[in-house]
Amino acid sequence: MKKIAGLFVALLLVFGLLAGCVSQQGAGGNSNSSKDGKDEAGGGDGKIKIAVVPKLIGIPYFNASEKGAIQAGKDLGVEVIYTGPTEADAAQQVKVIEDLISQDVDVIAVAPNDAAALSPVLQKAKDKGIIVMDWDTPADQSLVELSVHQIDDEAYGRHIAKSLVEQMGTEEGEIAILTGGLAAANLNSWIDAAKKELEENYPGIKLVTDKIATDEKQQVAYQKTLDLIKSYPNLKGIMAFSTPAPLGAAQAIQEKGLQDKIAVVGTALPKDSAPFLEDGSLDVAILWEPDKLGYLTVALAKDLVDGKKPENGQNIDGVGEVEVWEDGKTVIMGPPTDFTKDNAKDYDF
Amino acid sequence: MKAFLKSKEMSVAVIILLLCIILAFISPVFLTADNLLDVVKGNAVLGILAIGMTLVIITGGIDVSVAAVTSAVCVVLGKTMMFLPDSPLTIVLIFVIAPLFGVLLGSINGILVAKIQIPAIVVTLGMMSIINGLVLYITNGQYLNSSNFPTVFLKFSNFSVFGISIIIWLFIITAALTWYILKYTLIGREVMAIGGNKESAVRVGINYSKVQIFVFSYMGFLAGIAAIAQTSYTKAVDPNGMLGLELMVIAAVVLGGANIMGGRGTIFGTILGVLLLGIIQNGLILAKIDTFWQKVFTGAIILIAVSYDHIQYKRSQKQLSKIEVEA
Repeated sequence: MKKIAGLFVALLLVFGLLAGCVSQQGAGGNSNSSKDGKDEAGGGDGKIKIAVVPKLIGIPYFNASEKGAIQAGKDLGVEVIYTGPTEADAAQQVKVIEDLISQDVDVIAVAPNDAAALSPVLQKAKDKGIIVMDWDTPADQSLVELSVHQIDDEAYGRHIAKSLVEQMGTEEGEIAILTGGLAAANLNSWIDAAKKELEENYPGIKLVTDKIATDEKQQVAYQKTLDLIKSYPNLKGIMAFSTPAPLGAAQAIQEKGLQDKIAVVGTALPKDSAPFLEDGSLDVAILWEPDKLGYLTVALAKDLVDGKKPENGQNIDGVGEVEVWEDGKTVIMGPPTDFTKDNAKDYDF
Repeated sequence: MKAFLKSKEMSVAVIILLLCIILAFISPVFLTADNLLDVVKGNAVLGILAIGMTLVIITGGIDVSVAAVTSAVCVVLGKTMMFLPDSPLTIVLIFVIAPLFGVLLGSINGILVAKIQIPAIVVTLGMMSIINGLVLYITNGQYLNSSNFPTVFLKFSNFSVFGISIIIWLFIITAALTWYILKYTLIGREVMAIGGNKESAVRVGINYSKVQIFVFSYMGFLAGIAAIAQTSYTKAVDPNGMLGLELMVIAAVVLGGANIMGGRGTIFGTILGVLLLGIIQNGLILAKIDTFWQKVFTGAIILIAVSYDHIQYKRSQKQLSKIEVEA
């Protein structure tokens, strides 16, 4: 009996492993199959292979950037492999990159879950002659040829703060900040920039409490916003960072009918926030366009293989003018996009 | 009355009462009906799941797949609602589909645990992984928001009876139903018997595997109900929105005085555990405590509650053995 039980457990674990693989290939495979039909006719030999590795696959944000990356592959005639872990986990990401190294790709562009954890495997890739770059989130800067940023963190944070004040319609009043997690580095740098903007230019704005963590979950953001509204009845504005947080905050505002009293500005995807933008419970969603980021990453990767470095003010087809910092490495895609009730429907992510 | 005062629920109730008194002084908003209803509404999903988990834990099992099962049912609900007509029949259908699908997943857990006798934690961990993977594969992580649902469902979510939201009613009905099952039905008494002493229970002829299959299926059933509550609460389906909730569920049950090794546990205690967790979360913001200290406070209050409860329990056990020795 015990033996059978043991066997079964083993089987179950194997099955679990397989299930993991299936979903990974399923999502990664889409990208390949969509290419196969069109471009693989010539056999695919000698074609530049560019691997784009997101933090994880299967969330709307990275699905959108996948679309952009694949599109760039088609437009530029390169093979794009878009694959990543199913969870935002550094160890799984290392495995994915190991696989890519053995597939002998030309470029690996990675959005690291943990920059330090990826350094050894990126070093290995570099030693094999693979060009390493990062996108979305910076990796170890000594290893990468290029670092593609969606946004200038400082400018983005300041822009969000400015938009909030604009939506509040007054330069005086109490506001609160919601964030995804207290330890998220990118969220923290945006929040710091936003705070700086308020301190320097809007002394009348008072932050009622330190940033409040919402665990990257809409229902938590919703509950915390309800609590905030109650404890600070004079609250005039909420800034919400991380994509689910603005939705939860807006839901609370919508339910309590406070659209005209409290302004909400946050970093959300337009498709998710459309119902809240519609009635003004969310005033503006501010984000970059993730599909363009995917596109830009592939375009710059191809240029690197061709031996071209990006230049400041260079115009990339399908993306627009990019900014390159003085180190010649850091590329900024451009200013953020404001999604409002008028334009949110035009986007498919 | 005396027995009640000494019962294990009492310690949690005392802590909750103290907390409420302190909070009422700090924040005038806390003791308003509006706020208290918000707290219960916000924790109804947690509560419904914790009630099911109480049964599982009483029999000495554990189910870490609850959050995953609930997400799966949410996704199924979301997907089917896109095709359902805008008529009251839809609500009826929802109440058929969700519990059925939950029971299906729960009974798979139950059968694996009871018939093949794999430890519950292994089965449910495997189940959790499989379901999470499948959910991600099917949805691709895509959100469904209120524009995907028929208006009748949105009306249902905002529906309230005697000023109390339908979501809270779901929680109340679930609690009452489960309490009744435990107290007055044969299967409920069998669950308690197994919890009390498994060996004796089996010897008097209680079918252990039947009881196990029942508790896991019932857990699945409640996960289905919880999925309805969750979808009504957020008016959206977020495939990743419940990750990690199983830990909160287990914490609530243990806070309510249940023994994680099995045996001890009551519905009333679990409800108190859920309320305690909810009030802490709510109170920390109302009391304007700094974000970083909130975690420290949460941990401290939980530790105090559990130690207080455990000290009481140990004391009563000591008295018990003394009498036995003397007799």
